[in-house]
Amino acid sequence: MRVSLLSGNLQKKILFLNHAISTRSQLPILLNFLIEAKRGKLTISATDLDVGIITEVPAKIEKEGSVTVPAKTFTELTGAIPLDKITLETDREGLVLTGDKTRTVFQTAPADDFPKLYEEKGEAALTLKKETMASDFSKIVFAASPDSERPALSGVLIKEEKGGFLLVATDGYRLSLKKHALKNVQKTKNKDQVSLLVPSRVIRELIQMEKDAEGADIMVYASEEKNQIVFATPDTTLVGRLIEAEFPIYEKIIPTDFSTKTVFQREDLQRAIKAGYVFARQTAGIVKLSIKKDKIVVSANAPSVGNNTIEVDAKTEGEENDIAFNARYLLDFLSNATSDEASFEMTGPLNPGVFREIDDSSFLHLIMPIRVQQEG
Amino acid sequence: MGDENNILWKKVLGEIETEVSRANFLTLFKPTGLLSLEDGVASIAAPSTMIIDLLQKRFYQIIKKTVDKHTNMDIKIIFVPKIINHISKDKIGIAPLLEFAEKKTATIGHLPRVRADYTFQTLAVSSTNQLAYVSATTVAKKIGTAYNPLFIYGPVGVGKTHIMQAIANEVYRNDPNKKIIYTTSEEFTNEVVEAIRNNDTARMKRKFRNIDLLIIDDVQFFAGKDRAQEELFHTFNILIDEGAQIVLSSDRPPSEIKKLEKRLSSRFAGGLTVDIEAADFELRCAILLIKAKKYDIDLSIDSAKKIAEKAHDSRELEGLLLKTITVSNNRGVEITPELVDSSFNQQGTEDKFFFRPDEVIKNVCSFYNIKETLIKGPKRDSSLVKARHIAMFLLKNDLSLSYVEIGNILGGRDHTTIMHGVGKIEKLLSNKKFSEEMMGIKSLLKNNKGNTRGL
Repeated sequence: MRVSLLSGNLQKKILFLNHAISTRSQLPILLNFLIEAKRGKLTISATDLDVGIITEVPAKIEKEGSVTVPAKTFTELTGAIPLDKITLETDREGLVLTGDKTRTVFQTAPADDFPKLYEEKGEAALTLKKETMASDFSKIVFAASPDSERPALSGVLIKEEKGGFLLVATDGYRLSLKKHALKNVQKTKNKDQVSLLVPSRVIRELIQMEKDAEGADIMVYASEEKNQIVFATPDTTLVGRLIEAEFPIYEKIIPTDFSTKTVFQREDLQRAIKAGYVFARQTAGIVKLSIKKDKIVVSANAPSVGNNTIEVDAKTEGEENDIAFNARYLLDFLSNATSDEASFEMTGPLNPGVFREIDDSSFLHLIMPIRVQQEG
Repeated sequence: MGDENNILWKKVLGEIETEVSRANFLTLFKPTGLLSLEDGVASIAAPSTMIIDLLQKRFYQIIKKTVDKHTNMDIKIIFVPKIINHISKDKIGIAPLLEFAEKKTATIGHLPRVRADYTFQTLAVSSTNQLAYVSATTVAKKIGTAYNPLFIYGPVGVGKTHIMQAIANEVYRNDPNKKIIYTTSEEFTNEVVEAIRNNDTARMKRKFRNIDLLIIDDVQFFAGKDRAQEELFHTFNILIDEGAQIVLSSDRPPSEIKKLEKRLSSRFAGGLTVDIEAADFELRCAILLIKAKKYDIDLSIDSAKKIAEKAHDSRELEGLLLKTITVSNNRGVEITPELVDSSFNQQGTEDKFFFRPDEVIKNVCSFYNIKETLIKGPKRDSSLVKARHIAMFLLKNDLSLSYVEIGNILGGRDHTTIMHGVGKIEKLLSNKKFSEEMMGIKSLLKNNKGNTRGL
């Protein structure tokens, strides 16, 4: 193999590839990049067997071939050398990287040991447009569980509905839901109703990939038979598994009514919760919200450390009420929401509270409160 | 996945574990499972295409060798992308948000006075109640706007209450926040009386005039209860004005309810009035099969037909079904048409014992409005002949008299004449119109019997 390319182009791509390298991986081959020069293209692949990433790097192919190199050293080195034209060439020593004034040799392993990321992509189901995709997913994916003990709770459900797509995720403590999401999605004709349960990990990588995609559309290929989902931009492909599990019946969880509704500045409450979290951290993250006529009083109390109370201006309809939440969950919502104003609705201290963005009625976030003992 | 496959695969993995590196075993082999082993092909599940690729490239031979050894066969190995869930149910983490939802659903379906199992799904529909069913489902879907009020009438045991409660259940299921009151005219009257006695009519007014759906069963019992009628009249007007739905039932159409104020009966008939006819034979069979399912009993169609022949309204059907079930349990035999027959012959004698031949004749005559002497006399007008045949049939079938005896009772007729008459009626019974007529006579008989016994 012999290719020449600009190290700057390589650096850009390599950061994302590292998302698919798990340092905990037990198999040495999975700590390597697969570098392939084939059919006039240079591609680099990485996988931890849960997700896989393949990306194309602009290069001039002088001689075809393929090899794997340790990802960590390759990444560190390409970040350290000056931006310049470089060549990659295999010889008896290993993979040789040559720049204007540098020469590096990497130990290699045979390309054959590297797993194939997918056989074929399957049918194209959707084409995602850049505009709102990343922000839509960002508001949902944080509500999914990071571990896969209960598979359905670790996924994001993408479901086709009348007039758009529904995105929803829940880890059993909170739930994020957005209707009419993924604007301008193009659906492949004659396809059945799309309903995909995608691991939150894959969605997180998708958001990252979209940031690097520079405005290109993202094609989605799904194959239930192969248990596989593929997101592809013209130069990068992300491969993951689909989750084979029933998503919980979320419709019933969403309250239809409220007895208290309050509207506040999102960043004000975010700051207040952050301050409360200083103490709440000591007590399983519990912060108490007292909803008053014209304010929300945020209080946190750590017996051996101290306590803190902050008032946030708010406009409240209905009765005054108290409720307690895990501050982490509140911060997750408040930092992922985007509108200036947000609202909070509740019916009682033991029923889920509903957060909404004032300028986006299609989105809601639900958090299960923590039961606390009433003072006095 | 069968247990056998599980055991086999455990053995195979146990052996492979000793031959491959720990890293390989944990990442590649641990999440696999044996899906099936058929016709010399073992399907092995592995979570992703990538893992399958590695297994195939590097470990196909060792897997095949181990599987072959344990099965003593030449097995072909194929891989299927599928995640095998090793996590047992009780290890599942808690999810309070979802449990909250489950609790919420658990309370659904509980309405005071309404049976949760009376839903549209458990209702058998045939031509006799089709119209009532369609209008009831429409009302449940668009309460207050489709037909208001909906007035359902029909004889006892045709399923009026079932349909009315199904409306309540359906509305509640779609929106648990809807305020629904299901009551009977009897209870409504009691509340009126109570309210007057306690001098607290305001509370009662609040209760009944602030709802989305009011269902009142058996409104014919309002007859003669003036104060309750007045209260209902006002409630009715207010609810209709506010767009709330009203559903009423009775055993006869509004215009035929006696001692009901004109203004009320005209309001009753102001929406849609539908009748439910007595269940036809096919519907009775269907009802039996549904009920049998409810009791978790395997009822054959033939047995159901046999029972359906014997009973006429749905309550009687359920009673006979229960009786059959009890008999079959006691004797430890399955329900067959023969068992049905034998268990009812017993019951039959209990019932028939009470009728005297002259009562039967008297009632048949009064049903057709003819003189008793005529039925025993020689005249052979067609209306007379029919009544005479029916009397013969009842005497034979329900009282188990001999043909000769019946001949003597009916003015000294020959026993072959009686046989002919009974046969004629038996043939006619499959005719729906006629069997309704028969039921009318029988219920008249029973009612009059009840009255005389009461004295």
